[in-house]
Order: sequence, then structure tokens, then C-alpha cells
Amino acid sequence: MGLFEALHIVIIALYGLGTILFLTGIGTGNSRLKKIAIWLAIVGFTMNTIDLGLVLTRDIEALNAGKFYFNILAWCVLALYFFLWWRLRLEYLAITALPLALLLFVSSLALGGIRIVMPPELTALFFGLHIGSLILTLGVLIMAFGAGLAFIYYNKKLKTKAGLSSIGNDVPSLDKFDTVNKWAVAVGFPVFTLGLFSTFVWYWIAPGKQFTWDVMKIGSLAVWFLFAFLFHQRMVIGWRGRKPAILAIWVFAGMCVSLIHHTITFRAMP
Amino acid sequence: MNRQIILIGLNHRTAGVDVREKFALTDIENFEKGLMAHCPVHECMALSTCNRVEIVAIANHAPEREVLDSITEYWASICKGSAELLVENIYQYTDLQAVEHLFNVASSLDSMVMGEPQILGQLKDAYRKGVDQGTAKTIVNRLLHKSFSVAKRVRTETAIASSAVSISFAAVELAKKIFGNLEGTRAMLVGAGEMAELAAKHLLQNGVKDVIIANRTLSRAKELADSLGGEPIQIENLPDRLHEVDIIISSTGSPVAVIKAKDVKDVLKRRKNKPMFFIDIAVPRDIDPDVNQLDNVYLYDIDDLKEVVEDNMAQRQEEASKARAVVKVETATFGNWLNSLELQPTIVDLVDNSEEVAQRELAKTLKKIGPVDEKTRKALETLVLSVGRKCLHEPICFLKRRTQEEGSAERFIDLARRMFNLDEEVVPDTAHLDRKSCACAPEDIDKLIDASKNKEQ
Repeated sequence: MGLFEALHIVIIALYGLGTILFLTGIGTGNSRLKKIAIWLAIVGFTMNTIDLGLVLTRDIEALNAGKFYFNILAWCVLALYFFLWWRLRLEYLAITALPLALLLFVSSLALGGIRIVMPPELTALFFGLHIGSLILTLGVLIMAFGAGLAFIYYNKKLKTKAGLSSIGNDVPSLDKFDTVNKWAVAVGFPVFTLGLFSTFVWYWIAPGKQFTWDVMKIGSLAVWFLFAFLFHQRMVIGWRGRKPAILAIWVFAGMCVSLIHHTITFRAMP
Repeated sequence: MNRQIILIGLNHRTAGVDVREKFALTDIENFEKGLMAHCPVHECMALSTCNRVEIVAIANHAPEREVLDSITEYWASICKGSAELLVENIYQYTDLQAVEHLFNVASSLDSMVMGEPQILGQLKDAYRKGVDQGTAKTIVNRLLHKSFSVAKRVRTETAIASSAVSISFAAVELAKKIFGNLEGTRAMLVGAGEMAELAAKHLLQNGVKDVIIANRTLSRAKELADSLGGEPIQIENLPDRLHEVDIIISSTGSPVAVIKAKDVKDVLKRRKNKPMFFIDIAVPRDIDPDVNQLDNVYLYDIDDLKEVVEDNMAQRQEEASKARAVVKVETATFGNWLNSLELQPTIVDLVDNSEEVAQRELAKTLKKIGPVDEKTRKALETLVLSVGRKCLHEPICFLKRRTQEEGSAERFIDLARRMFNLDEEVVPDTAHLDRKSCACAPEDIDKLIDASKNKEQ
């Protein structure tokens, strides 16, 4: 077994164990387990960073592989989670961040066959603008998705007077979940817009490429419109709480469908 | 010497709010002074809260009935109420029953909402007043200190106080679930009821920035605003100010809804959908129940809050059994101490203690010098026991003299028991915050003795 394989197994084990321990900690109300899970995630994240660094230093061409994008997406999810944990003390969001990071990392190993062919001189531009911004958008939407689900669930508990004990002591306030949604929309939409419209630039500068509308592009644009609606309602009209939480979940679902569609389409490419 | 502990009181179970209001003690200091002057009591202390009045007294050379009657009559006369009415609504406990009741009160096992923490603070305040007045002496001191430690033990060894525990506490906890940190939030009291005031106090203690008090009578609103540090307004101005506040506690006597759903809808627009938490503790309700249907608005009425509290209460029943077991054990321990406050058991304990030390030291010496014949061993034993007893002659003589003086027996016996640690109490390092910690291990004391002797020479 080579260094990379061993590193990948360690990362999967750390993310997997972290996920199990965190979910068990939430279920049993054991804060010690949750703390251990977070530490495992931190170690896993460090390993993931090392892995990404090694991949890039060994072969810059790795940027062209779909494998790399899923790997960096897993990394991005945890990076955003740690940011929210630092700023909002939102340890709770590990409930979605850890399983999704695990899923994305495992997917990155499974999707080794995808390759994106592009002229080498445009790789950095393409990666920086298009893929980088889309990965960041997906990362913040994953956080908004987790926070949205939690908001809807606990909002219902509070509205129906289910009692404090059914909510639990360690659960963050609704305001914190809503703040995640606000940040996700405020950051996510402009970045997503940049990522999406950079595609047009890409078609414009890439030699021999002709832009044509297809289902994949229309789908992406539909998600953009949904996200734009959420951005408008949240930032201009002043939506808060349940409505933007629901809409963020829909935007995330749309993004997932679009991503899966992209993956299939890329795989089908010669 | 008569050290009978008497406890007379009334609470939310024995008396309705009208009786509790009538017999509440508003001037505790003067009440305690008067009790000492007019009743055959040697020490006393009184606690008066919205849910209970507890009077603890140590009887002084008088029959139990006489003490109970005199306290009850004095209490009724101070409150300008009928003694018969008072007798119908009170409970009376003596000796260990009184001790157990006070421990239950301190541990919040007797509170309307079991496990609520306010009562301990109220008891501490009442005790401090008793000490300042000089009405709390040896037994009340010990009883109250013990009750604080029992309460602490109950809180640490059981989960009775682990979550929201009273109506106002539940309101604060719910507000935290909505807003997170309450720092910077603003509250409004609509009507100036006692429960709303208590809830507002809790909110302010938990970080709420300020409070607006809207009342039909502006003078009452001003009065409350002075005590809470808020802004008084006329209730008619409420709609214009509603958008400024995050938490609204309503408790008016209005027969119709004071806040309607359509008004709140407009307010929400002005607030850009910032969440609002309405607490309606009025009966009939002040806030239109449809308000809860609006997004970002949470409405809890008195029944909802009670359910939140009871939800926790059910979980706490098991913990309460554990807590009661702790109280029982501690009551028995206190009973032992109480019984030892006589000269004779104290002498026996002093001598036993000295003999135990002598025997221990003799065993050490015999181990060092090796095997000796029975005659020598006996002689050594007589020697150490005799030294121990001789050392106690003067302290015992001193105690005997002091116990013949009126009023000082318990103080000196208690002091002697503490000096010789006859009750084997463990004093935690944090027991005296203003005192430097000092090592009390046998070897440290030996060193201290040697050092002191060398200095003298």
C-alpha cells in the first residue's frame, strides 16, 4: 500500500469515526463524545489538507481530474464548518458537515475516471474562477442546508410548545441557525454568480469551443434563478427564519442535482 | 438549657395568595427584633417570599405550646390579621422535623417549582439579616450553614436543578432558544403584575438590555421602572413602541386581547421580520393566540409555560427522591450535633478523642521500641492516658464555668467541639474566601509547634 492509499484510508477512518461519534453524542447527549468527534474531524481535516498539498505538488495536472474537485469539496465543507464553529460556536452543524465531508471524500476516490480537458495555460484561471467558486458555493450551501433543517425542526418544536427537554440543552438558538443561512446567502450567491458566469468567459476564450444551450446549462441557470430569488428576498425584502431556511434547502437540492448531472455528463464525454 | 427548634410557616400549598399576601412580612428586621422581645425565644430568623413565610426560632426555657402560640399571635398582630385565620393556614414543626423542613426548603424540594434556585438566595439574604440583627446565634447559624451545604449537596449530587425550573426561568430559557445570547435584546412589560415583574427581572439578569413598562396607570409603571431600571409608558402608546422590543411579557387584567395578530403583522414588517417572543401570563389572555401562526413570532401563554415546567418536573421526580434521601441523612447528622450541645456528651467526646490519640501514639512507640513485657506496656498506657486527661482538665473546667453563664453555653460548647473537631467535619479550602489557605497535616502542625517553640527560646 502506497503513501496516498494509506493517507486516504486514515482520512476516511477519521471522518467516519468522527461522524459516528458525533451522531452518538447528539443521540445520547454526551458532550464528551462530541468533543472527541470534533478533534477527530480536525485531525482528518489536517490529513486532508496534507493530501491535497501532496497531490498538487506531485502533479499539477491533478487539477483537471474530477477526483480532485470532490476531494477539495470535502475539505471546503469542513473548512467552512470550522469557520462557523469559530465565529458562532456552532458545534452542532457537525451533524451535517461530518457525514457530507465523508461522503464527498469517498466520492472523490470513486470518481477517478472523470477528466476535464483544457489547455494547460487556462487551467489556473478555470480552476480559480469556475470550479473554485462553485466548490465554495456548495460548501456554504451544505452549511445552510444543515442549518435550515435544524431551524425548521426546532422552530416547529418551539411553535408547538413541545417543551424544553425535547429541544435539548446543547442545541444552538434559532438565531444562530438563521445567521448561517444569512451568511450562506450573502456569500454564496455572489460567488455562485461568479462561478456560473465564468463559464461563458471560458467558452469565449477557449479555442474551438462553441457555447450552446443544453439541459445541463439550463438546469444550472434555473438553480441560479432560485438562488437569486432567495438572495433578493433575504437581503432586500428582509426574509428571516423559516422561509429562507426552506428555500436554501431547495437551492442546495438543485445544486446537488446539477452537480450529479454535470458528473454524468462529464463521464459521458469522450 | 432548652434548645428546642421551632419552625412556623405557610406556603403556596397551605395558604392561598390572599392569605399569603396578608401574612407576608414586609419588615423582617423589626419583626425579628420584636419576636426576640415579645416571645420566649433565644434565637430567631424569618424568611418571607411571594410563595412562603418561614419563621425559625430557638425556644428559651418555655413549654413548646407556649412558644408556638406566642410566635403565631405576634405574627398575626404584626400583619394586623386574625390569629385564627393564620393558625388555619400554617404548619408548625419542632426539632428534627423543623430541621428537615428547612433543609427541604433550602434544597428547593418544597418550592412551587421543584429545583428552582431562587429560594436558596432568598434564604441566604434572610440569614444575613438575622446575623446583622444579632437574632441568629449558635443554633440558627449552624442550622442555616448546614442547610446551605445540604442544598449544595443536593444540587451537585442530583440533577434536580439541571434545567428550566420556574415559569420565569422557563421564559428565559425559551428566549435563549430563540435569540441565543440575550445581550442587546429589549423587553416590554405590558401590565405590571408581580409574575411579569419577576420574569422581567430574570430577563434583565440574563442580559436583556432594557425594559419598557407599559401600564394603564403611569405611576405604577414609573414605580416599577425605578426598581427595574426601565422606561415607563402609558399602555395607549404600546402600538407605537412594540416594534422596538424583542420580548413582550403581558399580564394585564384586561378582559379583551390587548395585542392582536394583525397589529403584530405590521410590527413584524417594521422590524424586517426580526423574531419576537410573546409571553402571556394573563388570565384571560392578553395576546391573540393567532399571533403564534405568524412566522418569526413565538407565543407562550401561562398554560404553555406551565407545561414546559411540568415537562421538566416529571423528569425531576426521580431526582427528588434522591434529594430527599440526602436531606434525611443530613437531618440525622444535624440531630447528632444538636444532641452533643450539652456539657456531658462534649466531655465524653473530648476524653474519647484524647484516648484515641493516646492509644495511637502508644502503638507507634511500641512498634519503634520493640517487644516489651505486659507490665511495662500497661505502665506506658496509663502514662499516655493520664497525660491526655490531664491536658483536658483546664479546658473542661473552663467549659463547666462558661455553661453556668446564661446564654453562652452553646456558643462555647460549639467552639470546643470545633476546636477539637469532635464532629469530624471536613472544612473545604474554599470555606473562607478571605482567609489564606494553610496546611493542617500533622507534620505541618509539628513543624509549626517546633518553630514557635524555637522562636520563644
